[in-house]
Amino acid sequence: MAKQITSSSTAEYFAKNLQQVGFSSPTKAVLTTLKEAVDNSLDACEEAGILPEITVTVRKIGPGSSKSADLVEIVVEDNGPGIDPDDLAKVFGEYLASSKFGRGRCTRGQQGIGISAATTWAQLTNATGAKVTSKTARMRKAVRATIDVDIKGNKGVVKNKETIDWDKPHGLRVEFRIDGRIQLNGDGGLLTYLEGTTLVNPHLKLRYKLLDNDWVEIERVSDVVPEIPPATLPHPHTMKLGEFMTHAGLYGKMEFGKFLKQGFSRVTDATLKELVANGLPKNLLEMPTNKMTEEQFKTAFQVIQKTELQAPSTRSVLTVGEEALAKSILRLGDVDFFSVVTRKPKIADFKPVVVEVALARFLNRGSNDEPVQLLRFANRVPLQFDKAACAITRAVETVNWRAYGLQQAKDSLPLGPYVFAVSVVSPFIKFKNASKETIDSSDELVEEIRRALMQAGQKLSRHIRREHKEADLERKIAHIEQFGPILIEYLGRITGAKEARMKRAEEGLKKLLGRDTKEAERDLSEAELRLQALKEQQAKAGLLFTASSFNDDEMKTRTEENKDEAASAETAGETAGKSKKAKGAAAAAADLKVAGTNRAKAAAVPARRNTTATKKGAATTAKAK
Amino acid sequence: MEKVIRVRKLTKDIPKEARLLCDMMLSELEKANRPVLEAVKCTLDNSIYNPKVGYLTPGDKKVRTELNVSSVQKMARVIFMLDRLLTKLETNAVHTKRELYYIAKGEVKSNPRLKPLDFASQDESDAIIDFIGDMLEVYREELNCFANDRGGQTYSQQLVVTETLPDGTKAVVDLSTLGTTPFQPKNKPQALSLKAKKKIDFCLVVESEGTAGTLVANGMTKRHNCIIIGAQGVPSNGVRGWCRLIQQQLKVPMFFFGDLDAYTLQNIYRTLKAGSASSLIRNADFSAPEVHFLGVLPEDVKKYDLFCYNVNEKDPAEARALKKAKDALSNDPFFQDKRNKRLAGVLEWLIKNKKRCEQQAYFSVDPKDPQIMEKILVEKIKNGNYI
Repeated sequence: MAKQITSSSTAEYFAKNLQQVGFSSPTKAVLTTLKEAVDNSLDACEEAGILPEITVTVRKIGPGSSKSADLVEIVVEDNGPGIDPDDLAKVFGEYLASSKFGRGRCTRGQQGIGISAATTWAQLTNATGAKVTSKTARMRKAVRATIDVDIKGNKGVVKNKETIDWDKPHGLRVEFRIDGRIQLNGDGGLLTYLEGTTLVNPHLKLRYKLLDNDWVEIERVSDVVPEIPPATLPHPHTMKLGEFMTHAGLYGKMEFGKFLKQGFSRVTDATLKELVANGLPKNLLEMPTNKMTEEQFKTAFQVIQKTELQAPSTRSVLTVGEEALAKSILRLGDVDFFSVVTRKPKIADFKPVVVEVALARFLNRGSNDEPVQLLRFANRVPLQFDKAACAITRAVETVNWRAYGLQQAKDSLPLGPYVFAVSVVSPFIKFKNASKETIDSSDELVEEIRRALMQAGQKLSRHIRREHKEADLERKIAHIEQFGPILIEYLGRITGAKEARMKRAEEGLKKLLGRDTKEAERDLSEAELRLQALKEQQAKAGLLFTASSFNDDEMKTRTEENKDEAASAETAGETAGKSKKAKGAAAAAADLKVAGTNRAKAAAVPARRNTTATKKGAATTAKAK
Repeated sequence: MEKVIRVRKLTKDIPKEARLLCDMMLSELEKANRPVLEAVKCTLDNSIYNPKVGYLTPGDKKVRTELNVSSVQKMARVIFMLDRLLTKLETNAVHTKRELYYIAKGEVKSNPRLKPLDFASQDESDAIIDFIGDMLEVYREELNCFANDRGGQTYSQQLVVTETLPDGTKAVVDLSTLGTTPFQPKNKPQALSLKAKKKIDFCLVVESEGTAGTLVANGMTKRHNCIIIGAQGVPSNGVRGWCRLIQQQLKVPMFFFGDLDAYTLQNIYRTLKAGSASSLIRNADFSAPEVHFLGVLPEDVKKYDLFCYNVNEKDPAEARALKKAKDALSNDPFFQDKRNKRLAGVLEWLIKNKKRCEQQAYFSVDPKDPQIMEKILVEKIKNGNYI
């Protein structure tokens, strides 16, 4: 006799397969729990048009229930709209209960799996689900409760519900106690996640305390809540036959032709004519969709697929924006220089997508021999695992970074103290797995990312080239100092020339090599001019691209003054200042005595050090308190 | 100090020429003009091969080094090294290139002012010394600077060498009395005169010094009136000059025997026969234009069923040799000359078949016969089976 077939609930499936959604190890469990809670807070704030203020604490509170894990407490508190007490069970205790599923919007969460999986993990490893405190604007008091997952029934269960006083007008606090291990740095580290989240959310004010470290407070650099564009109607070419028929079912008795126009984007009367020309029976267009047979649907679907349609609209994607990204990157540390690029939304694989790139060189992280730190983002969520298989990594590795002055072995990440942040935003990102760790790499998407990287690389190369020219000038000055006197001395020895003749030759040599230095200096000035032109162009567009532009004092001034004017003046001023210093160094070099001191070098080096020092000082951010 | 024996009779007064050159440089500097150093361009694209002359000679191209911030380092090094060489010439002191490298390095390192001149490796100081030679158009040997001895180990039962030493005394070396020890020419000029006790039938220059020794150990010099020389890879100036001397004084037919591969043909055999591009101004005294290529020839592979194998194109050195062979056919005037068509044919065969055959493959023709290589070589000479 055949065995009885049983069906299990979604919760049962995920409870047995939590590794598929990011709970494959104690370290990943902590990161995923934190990530799900923070991403939900950010989504909720954005939906409600609130500037997010999030507080995070992660600490070890004792030994875990399993052998190799600690009991870790993760608390995330926000100032979001809060959750209605009646919905708490659904949000934290039920799988696939989401306000965003399949809506075609660029939200971080999509399916309604993540936070329920975190509750399940807490329940499985510590026998208690999520402790939630919630208050909406309409509530006088907050509600506090523990939410468990009823695994058999895929339902949330509310326990220990009580009302408490909470001094916040609205918000949510969620607390998980789970088995896990805390990793702060590295690709899968909590700090890497928080830094990444900070970078792509310029409007976020974040406070966090990890383990016994001090509180860190990161101020927001943008007061604009990103508006998530409404979803556009689906495009007929992005559907499969089954989806197409289900979609038709939603429109009841509507005529098929009308359904196509109303239910899809990019279908017009002209499109319908074209469909008929391509073999769609004309009478089908007038038939009510609920009367159509499967065969008729199939015929229609096939004709639609082979008919060329206008590409889907790109209005449904959102961007962080170059200005916000530029400001945000300075929150990560002392930036030497950087470049950011926001591409225009494009269609890749028939889905709207927008790519943003920020490349920055830091003064205090990484080294020349290490690969750059690559931060990957999908819909503004950091991707921290399985780097090698990701479309973003593939794109970075296939760009020839040597052309922009960076070192790179073939088909590898470039080397240097840089952070490369690449963000891909799309309502339909194709992930390789349910835990959303890597973006599937199609040729079109990789090409779009490469273009963004190359654009940013070109901007970066202006800075790097200027440095090369500066080094060239220094090297030339050093050459004159070092070899000039030896040449004269040994020529004198061989010819037996008298002192006066040697002196004249020294003077002649100084003149000659001074001319060469001037040429090098001219090269440097040209490189600086090109860099200045770039900065001015960006300043005109309202994008402030110098690290020093974000100096605390200057920021204050800027709120009072016209931003554009300030930026142009400052950018120009900075460059002019540098040119002056370089010219001074060269002039000093031309004046040097061949028999020589280190005067020229001493003059040249500080010119460079000053530059660095300015950047160092200027790039201070409101990071640690 | 005893007088140094010279390679050739030189009419140039090197110290005087050098002083004139430095004086001109100083004058230019006084006028704030850029002094220029000119040297013969010693590269293949400035090489001329005339079969009647027999070796590669320089064309008209010059290398010009004008003083600027980029070249000031090279110029300072050249003048510093020139001063050192002139001091040696004045005192008749001789040194090897390696010694000069260490002398310069020691002086430079101990004097903080000279420190920027520091030579990171001997290659750097060698390049400066070669440039000085090319600039003054004199041999490096005429600047009293020599390379270490390498190759040229010579075995014969008939050859007697008389060397006139710098002090005028003579040393007579009968090679048949040396037992298993070879006679080795120096890599610096020697006054040698050669005599044959009996008529010598041929002189065989073997690429591998070890294989030359094996042929002698197996009794080849006892059975044949011949001279056997081990080249030890690319022949040094000493080996090339020694072969030239044998040709001039004894007028015996000379054959070269080495591997069948592009490197041997191009870098070893061509250098022995016509000199090299990097020593264009010295090839007149350091080449043996009458030497024949005895093998291994492509037809030998078939005739003796020699073991040969495919060139490993993944090996960078072998892939480079193959590429160089292709380049030689289009750029090397030696292989482009119609009289060397058969040699170019061997290169074409190598490029086409991508095979190589070692000289030692002859031993495998009959592994039980230790004299098999000797027999084949003598047979080839007798039958005129060479290029």
